[in-house]
Amino acid sequence: MNSLMYDTYTVFWRELKRYKKSRSGVLIRLIQPAIWIIVIGNTFSGTQPLIQSVGFDGEYIEFMAPGVIVLTAIFTSIFGGVNTLWDRRYGFMNKALTSPISRSSIALGKMSAISLISAMQSSLIIGIALAIGVSFPNLFMIAPIMAIVILFSLGFSGISVIVAATAKSQETFWGVINFLGMPLFMLSPALFPLELLPDWLATIAKFNPVTYTVLLVREMMTGVSEGGISAFLSIGVIAVFVLVMIGLASYVFTREVNKPF
Amino acid sequence: MYSVETRSLSKTFGAVKAVNDISFAVESGEIFGFLGPNGAGKSTTIMILTTLLKPTSGQALVSGFDVVTHAKQVRQSIGYVQQESTVDEYLSGRENLLLQARLNHIPKDQINKRIDEILELIELTDKQNDSVVTYSGGMRKRLDIAGGLLHHPKVLFLDEPTVGLDIQTRRKIWEYIKKIHKEFEMTIFLTTHYMEEADQLCDRIGIIDHGQIQIIDTPENMKNAMGNEVISLKFESKNPDDFLTHLHKIEYIKKINKDNDKLTIFTSNGTQVIPEIFKISSLLEIKIISISLTQPTLDDVFISYTGREMRDDDVGFNRKREHAKMKRLRA
Repeated sequence: MNSLMYDTYTVFWRELKRYKKSRSGVLIRLIQPAIWIIVIGNTFSGTQPLIQSVGFDGEYIEFMAPGVIVLTAIFTSIFGGVNTLWDRRYGFMNKALTSPISRSSIALGKMSAISLISAMQSSLIIGIALAIGVSFPNLFMIAPIMAIVILFSLGFSGISVIVAATAKSQETFWGVINFLGMPLFMLSPALFPLELLPDWLATIAKFNPVTYTVLLVREMMTGVSEGGISAFLSIGVIAVFVLVMIGLASYVFTREVNKPF
Repeated sequence: MYSVETRSLSKTFGAVKAVNDISFAVESGEIFGFLGPNGAGKSTTIMILTTLLKPTSGQALVSGFDVVTHAKQVRQSIGYVQQESTVDEYLSGRENLLLQARLNHIPKDQINKRIDEILELIELTDKQNDSVVTYSGGMRKRLDIAGGLLHHPKVLFLDEPTVGLDIQTRRKIWEYIKKIHKEFEMTIFLTTHYMEEADQLCDRIGIIDHGQIQIIDTPENMKNAMGNEVISLKFESKNPDDFLTHLHKIEYIKKINKDNDKLTIFTSNGTQVIPEIFKISSLLEIKIISISLTQPTLDDVFISYTGREMRDDDVGFNRKREHAKMKRLRA
């Protein structure tokens, strides 16, 4: 167990070093969520009466800002595993696989690095939201929100690592990731309250861990809970999701990297 | 106990027998060269020995541990330097070694000392804090090799350590390999395409082709077995078979390889054989276009066992690989 922690940290350290030295990506990756929050946030400002009907008293942009924070977390973490493919192609993976560290620690190290990077990106989005005037009733909530984002991203990065370990090419990876990422975001109350979704969509959304993360982050930011889903339920769902993904990612990764690439 | 030992080792991919029932043993402390054309089974064998692939049948032991049942112990006893550079470009030289040290569980209190030592040995102390992006090909290779050595493995696997390097750099890398072998006295298992490299570095050489070991011996014995001289000859004739039959009758000739209008003749007394050849050719009215007498090289040995020249193959292979790489980069 001790050695699993140490090895996970080794891989985590390497991933963060690489991230730090390739800074150019940081700002580019912020452009898309910034556009979401500014453009969509203002485009749909006319829907304010709708969201007020389910108990929000602020503007639409305040309603959807938590959704965009989660969007940033979704995409940063689901894209994050792509370097697994590079590692397999350019030999780092074989170097790690022929050293005494366990296969799981490679997956877990990558996942923890991705989730931290994802949280950093999301915190920048919080900054943008504050800058364009989204009111934040309680700034002390930022820390627990970050904790939720880290936890959620840890689970989501598992999806990325699983797809990257299974895919043999970049094309397959991006194909599958794009197929998964957008629907998971859309099938959640990120942009629209759960109560106003058609029944069948709302039902599907309830099986989506993104839903619970959005609801939880929004409740922490605005103080309003929706759809009768309590914060405790949300935390429970996220926790189970993360545990399942950690287990699944370790298992699939170990199985896949033992096959010839 | 042998450092590396295989017993009837086989690996099949679908219908292809990449490694076909090979058995060999490498002594502790030896530099063992593993040669073969591309597709001969070299890489598959090295991947089995480094625990990256599981054999289909047979057994492989590294440092006394079975690569399948005791993979972890094997991993603890080996260093593996891959053909392509695997250092992280964004990290500095020192950070790369630090990563390697942690991957190989070097005790925390020894890490810095080991890194300093190894940097000294490969003469990269001055550049240790520079990002690897700024390193030349030779420097990267040295860093790669250093990474494989850091934890003082019992067996060091070097997969084509000088491929793609210019000749000066290649010689420099050979010096480092000799130096580290002297310093750490570990077993080195080396694959290469370059006969000169094998000749320079290896105590013994195994030639593999079509998934099977063709011969294992010292470079010296191999060359001697070929006779101590080689006559290369180009000729024109309508009836080459007749020519060959006559040549075979010459006493000192040990072996003749024919490649279209070219002959490679292995002999022990070349200066006396050449006049004989001319006698036969004038008798049979064969026109000799060129003739030369040289010492046998391992290249000649290699061709005589595999029937093909490595470099010819190599070009096509590298071009294909380059092509694949470009395709990936574009994707």
